[in-house]
Formats: sequence, C-alpha cells, structure tokens
Amino acid sequence: MPMLFGDLFIHLTWANALALVLLGLVGGVISGFAGSGAAFIMTPGMMNLRVPGVVAVGSNMAHRFGNNMMGAKRHAGLGNVDKRLSILLLVTALIGVQIAVWINSALFKMGGGEGHEGGGGAMSNLYISLIFIGVLTFVGAFMLRDAVRPRDSKEGSGPSMKLANMLSRLPLPPTIHFPVADVRISLWLVLLLGLVVGFLDGTVAIGGFLGVPAMIYLFGVPTTVATGSELFMAMFGGAWGAISYAYQGFVDLRLSCLLLLGSLMGVYIGAYGTKVVKEVLVRLVASSIILLCVVSRAVAVPVYLRQLHLLHFSEGWEPWLKGASTAILFAAGVGGAGLVLFYVVKATLERRKVHATLLVRKPAADGRVS
Amino acid sequence: MPIVFVSGVPFGGGERLAKELARKLGYAFLDREEVVARANESGIPVGKLEVALVKKPAVQERMVRLRDRYLAVATATICEKAAAGNLVYYGRAGHHLLPGVGHVLRVRVVPEPARRLETVMERLRLPREKAEKFIRDVDEDIRAWVRFVHDVDMEDLQKYDLVVNLEKLSLENAAAALCTIAELPDFRPTPASQAAMQERLLRARARIKLALDERTADADLTVRSNEGVLTITYVPRQAQLAPVIPEVLGDLPGCREIRCTMASTNILWIQEAFRPDSGTYREVNELARRWGAAVELLQYRAGGEGGEVVPVEVAPAAALKAGTGGVEDDLPETAAGTADRSFEQTLEALVQEGRSGGGHMVAGGRERLVGAISRSVPYSLVVVGDLFLDKSPAARTRMTRELAMFLADHVKAPVLSTADLPSKLHLGKGEALKAAAAGILVVLIYGAIFFRQEGLLSVLGGEAHKAAPWLASLLVALLAPVVSLLYGNLLASAMKWLKMD
Repeated sequence: MPMLFGDLFIHLTWANALALVLLGLVGGVISGFAGSGAAFIMTPGMMNLRVPGVVAVGSNMAHRFGNNMMGAKRHAGLGNVDKRLSILLLVTALIGVQIAVWINSALFKMGGGEGHEGGGGAMSNLYISLIFIGVLTFVGAFMLRDAVRPRDSKEGSGPSMKLANMLSRLPLPPTIHFPVADVRISLWLVLLLGLVVGFLDGTVAIGGFLGVPAMIYLFGVPTTVATGSELFMAMFGGAWGAISYAYQGFVDLRLSCLLLLGSLMGVYIGAYGTKVVKEVLVRLVASSIILLCVVSRAVAVPVYLRQLHLLHFSEGWEPWLKGASTAILFAAGVGGAGLVLFYVVKATLERRKVHATLLVRKPAADGRVS
Repeated sequence: MPIVFVSGVPFGGGERLAKELARKLGYAFLDREEVVARANESGIPVGKLEVALVKKPAVQERMVRLRDRYLAVATATICEKAAAGNLVYYGRAGHHLLPGVGHVLRVRVVPEPARRLETVMERLRLPREKAEKFIRDVDEDIRAWVRFVHDVDMEDLQKYDLVVNLEKLSLENAAAALCTIAELPDFRPTPASQAAMQERLLRARARIKLALDERTADADLTVRSNEGVLTITYVPRQAQLAPVIPEVLGDLPGCREIRCTMASTNILWIQEAFRPDSGTYREVNELARRWGAAVELLQYRAGGEGGEVVPVEVAPAAALKAGTGGVEDDLPETAAGTADRSFEQTLEALVQEGRSGGGHMVAGGRERLVGAISRSVPYSLVVVGDLFLDKSPAARTRMTRELAMFLADHVKAPVLSTADLPSKLHLGKGEALKAAAAGILVVLIYGAIFFRQEGLLSVLGGEAHKAAPWLASLLVALLAPVVSLLYGNLLASAMKWLKMD
C-alpha cells in the first residue's frame, strides 16, 4: 500500500478507516471497562494497520488530548482530583514526555527497514515494541496475579497494598501530604513516577495506564482519586506530547478523528459494563487483554529485527508473523470488547425480567421464608 | 436517665472520672477496651486497624469496610448494654455512634497537662522528653482515629454538651457536678429517642450478621431501617445475594420485614412532603429507571433559617415513626414529627417499582441535614424537592436554592433542584439546538479533514510542515479538544434522547 509524505502517513481507504473506527470502539469499550487508557491496544493496533509506530503514538496522544480534558473536568467536579499530586507529577512528566519525543523522533529519522510495516522506521518500531512489551508484561502479570490470587475473606476484594506499605516505610524525606488523596508520600517518589509516566506516555502513550495503578499500588491513593489526578496531569502532559509530536510532524489528525468516532461511544458501553460485572472479572479481563497485546507485539518483533538485519529468516515468514500479530491483537480486543458487550446485554435483559425488589416477610422459625 | 459518654485521652483522668460518675449514679460502666475486645471476637482486628491507620499511607477500601464493621459492633455493644439499664461509657468521642439518640450526655474531659505528664513519666518510666513525645504522638493518633472512624474533629467542642477541665476541678467534684447535670430533664429518654436507639441496634446487628456470614462478608451492601423494616441495597454484580440476604438476617430480633433492592447507584431525594402521584415522583422514578438506581427518601423539616440548629420537640406519638439511615452513617436526631401517610405511600410505591433505597427523616438545621446523609453510600445525584413549605413562595425558592448550594459544597454528588430535574431527564429545546449545532460542526470538520487530506497532511508532515512546523502544533492544539468536545456533547445528547444516559 502506498504511503504518503515520506512514509509517514497511510493512504486512507474505506476499509482501513472503518478498521480505525472499530479499533477506537474496542479501545473505548476496554478503556471504559478497565478504567484506564486503551493505548495498549490502539497503538499496536494502528501499527498493525501499517501506521509507523511513532505516528501511531503521536496520533493516539492527540486523540486522547480532548478525552483527558473532558474526563479531568468531570472528575474535578466530583472532587476526585488531588491537584497538588497532579502538579508535582506533571513537573517531571513534561520532562519525560520531551525525552521520549526526542528519542522516538531520532530513532525514526535513523530509519531502518525497507518500507514494510511502519515504513522505514523499523528501528523506532522495534524500540516502541520493546518498551511496550517490557512495561505491559509487568503491569499485566501484576494485575493478573492480583486478580486470581486467593484472598483472605477478611481482606475484601480491594487492590493489594503490600507495595504501598513497603514504600511508605522508606525514609526518603521530604514527604508531602496530599489532602484529597489523604496520603503522605516522599517527594522523590512522586517526581520519579512523574518522569516514568511522562516518558512512557511520550514513548507508547501508555503513561496513564501505568500511572493509575502505580498511584494505587505504590502510593495507596484511592482508586477514584488516582484516576482523576492522573487525568488532570495527563490533560497537560498529553497536550504537551501531542503538540511536540505534531511539531516533529508525527501526528496524523485523520487517524485521531477516526479513533475518536469509535472510542467515545465505546467508553459509555465499557463504563456501564463495570456496573454489572464483578470487580475481579474486570481485572481478569483487562489483564488478559493486556497480556495478549504483549504477545501480539512480541510476534511482530522478529519482523523489525529482520528489517534491521539483526535476525535472518526467510522473507516468506514475514506476512505470517505480521498476520499472526494482527490476528492476536484484534482477537484480544474484539474478544474483550465482545465479553463486555455480552455482559451489558445480559444485564439489560435480566433487568427487564427481574423485579428488582424482593419483598420478603420475616422468615418463619424454621428458617423458611414466608 | 441518659447514656453518659465521657471522652478523654489516656492518662488524662477521664477514665477515673467516668468510673467515679458511674459509681455515684449507680450506672453500669463500659469502656472502649470492652468494645474493642468484642470487635476482636467478631474477627475485626482493631489493633491492626489502628496501626494501619497510623502507618499506612492511605485509607483503603478494605479499611473502610473494617471500620464500618467496627462501628456496627461498637453501636450494638453500647445499645445492648444501655438497653439493660443506665450506662456510663468512656472512650473516644463514642457519642457519635448514637447521634440520632436524644438521651445522650456528651462530656469531654480536658486533662491538667503537668499532672498528665507526670503520670506518663511515672507509669511508663519515661524521661520527660520521651514522655512529652509520647503524649504528642498518642494524641495525634487518637485524633486521626476519631477522624477516620467518625469523620469529625475530636477537639471540636461544639460536639459536646459539657467540657470538664480538670486543671482546677477535682475528680470527685467534677463527678458530683456531672451527676446533677445527668439528672436534668433535657437528657431524659423519650419514646422517640428510645425508638431511635432500637433502630440503630437493629441496623448494627444486621450489619454484623452480614459481615460474619461468609456469603455476604465481602459484599458491598448498604443497610437502612425504618420502623423495623430493613432495606438492604446491593449492586447488580452481586445479584446472587438477593435470596441469601433474608436467610442471613432471618432471625434478627426486632426485624419486621426485609427488603432487598438491586441498584447500580443511589439517588437521594430530599423533600418535606412526599406524594407518590406527584410529578417529581414520576421524574425521579424515571431517572432511577434509566440509571438502575435505588431512590432513598429523606424527609427534611427545617428547624431554623440560615443553618441554625433548632431543637425539635418530639411528640411521643412520633416515636415509632422515627427512622434513620444505614449503620455506617451516623444520623442526627431523627424524629421530625409524625411520618405522614404519604411518605409511607411513596416509600411503598418505590418498593413496588423495585427502586426503594429506604427512607428516613430528619429535622433541624442544615448541618443536621448534611449529617443525616450517609458518607459511605455512593450517591449519583441528590434531588432537593419542595422544602420550607411554611414560607412564602419567594422565600421558599431562595431558601431551597441556598440549601441546594450548601449541600453541593458538603456532599460528594451533584445536587439538583426539582426545577432542574426535567433538564436532566429530557432533551430540551436549547440542548437539542446545541446538539444539532455540534453535529453540523462535527460533520463540517470531518468533511474538511477527509476531503482535503492532501492539504492537511502537507501541514502535518509535508511541504507546509517543513516551512512552518508550528502550524501543525497549533492545528492539533485547537482541533483535537474542539472535536472531542463537540462530538462528546453530541453523543451525550443523543444518549439522553435515546434515554440511555
């Protein structure tokens, strides 16, 4: 398929435009369901549609820019934003974003490959894929372990707090109290997290995906405050990233707009899904999708290695590997989104059938309900 | 005679004063240690919870669940002991466990600092500096605990009836003075306050039973009661609990009826007089149907203008009509007069619709109203209906608006007046026009993007970009949020029009 403007932008057909809307829809459903960004499926999804990795990241950041703004406004209205935490995170996040943009742009300009998937940016694609695999393997495995591990019934079903407790004992002054989150955290840990989140956001557009669980698991921030504060930070960090990538010429607004068409609608459906599905199942589905996305990216890595002449195998394998990568990714996305839709439809039908209030008279002495 | 709650700090003389008072009055004595022991027997690791609160960086959901259970055990222990006779309780602001109960005397003991320091140095064999640090730390921990458990500042003296400063007053004389005050008619039990205590006991027992049964131990349930009718609300993902809850609560003393309501969320409807055939009822019910919400009724009778708390005389006949909210919420004086038939009819209508979240009443100032709203129930909306019915229409409108604004500042949920409710339900003309305009703009923007691809891509990464890269940044900075905003508003309006919001 011919590329436009020096292998930067894909030629848009009805088929790939529809695929992008569907990708947005799937991403939106999963995003609304898992309560985190869905760049983990959108970025590789776009790469599977032959969008260069760096353009996929830039366009995804532009797509999320407006969403973050609206989400942050909603959360701020509900009192879920700890502005002190967000601003401190943002200080280093902006630095992280800028470092990531610089590295991604430099690697893309180094080129590599012969105009296959992702154009000539095989080096950049490989770099993005490796970061993606490294981070999301860790996050996905952690979430999966937390979802399936047997729990003491007294503990309830909340997220594990072992890491947060461990970090809170580290003697790293100065510590700062964050009033909305009601936590006391070392300033250095906050700045470090901001840097990492910014870097990951700028590299793969998955900063929020790491930032929210990190705040919950590492700092012990309540889930709603973690989401609200991250969105508030991402509103500025994401905007900065999108503008920086646009300056470098790596944002395809057509893709951003097509993703948006599906994702906003998907978020509504996904958010509804969380109300009717058990929390453990939410975590299980989200972590499974993430790990499948990792597998999908891992399958594509040999292609980039071959394009960079770092690995040698028959060229005939390339279409198979790329096809397998795409198939796994879309199976994960469509399967996950389908599962959410299944539960939503099931719950809606049940709600129609069931008379929700059970009026039960006081049971008889033998325990039977009269 | 009242239940006397004495609040103090360790080594401050409060416990000795409470014991002396109990001896003089001939009342039973109960202290926090006994409550903690019972909580531990019920599987609540109170010590660990306290340590966790001090050491851990944040209040976690798990801790909140344990806190609610601890509150239930503490409430049940105190109510059971008080029901058997008179009681003096010594602890940390324990009166907040029974805020809806009128026959409570709330006493704060302020220690004499030098004497307290000496006591700590002597009993714990600590040097002066360490003893001072110990006192500072323990006081801070207790304040944190009270804030966590009751969501109040223990040092707020407005929360007490009496403050006893032991700097000059001896323990014996302080106890003698308290004896006199305890016998004043202001603190005598009334049928209403006794009924309120029974409701609290019922809810506490229900909460404990639900917590101890492994089938319901981890469920997110809200517990409400009114005149012996327990309303348990569970979320749709725990739909399998519907038949289990009555089994668990089957033999609960004092329980006339158990109602289980499935709800994704809760709508709180505050009004002075409810009617099931009113327009507001239909609108609230319609909203609840769309959201899968339970509707909780709060009958509010303002006791004073501008937030003044005006005590309300409770008629004995109203005693059995009094009702309050959940166990975890500490409600203030509840008996607001007689529960009129229309309130019950409205509640009954909600039960029949499958959307009852229970109902209760409160009278007094705005602070009391806020205190009556449970902080552990996740409300999606608070609807403020017709209030201040004895005022002129203009004053009523102003006062209702002011109350709604006050609530918006104090409740973590959007607050709407009934006048604004239709806009939440229906797509009004103005909104439809805005949505249409947004739709047209979205189509124009998408059209421009997709029918002028070459030009756009040139700006984003082609020849034009080489000449002026900042133009691409500007385009993204403007277009990305604008498209999101327009398309987001269009979708929201469409969902509302389809009644799927």
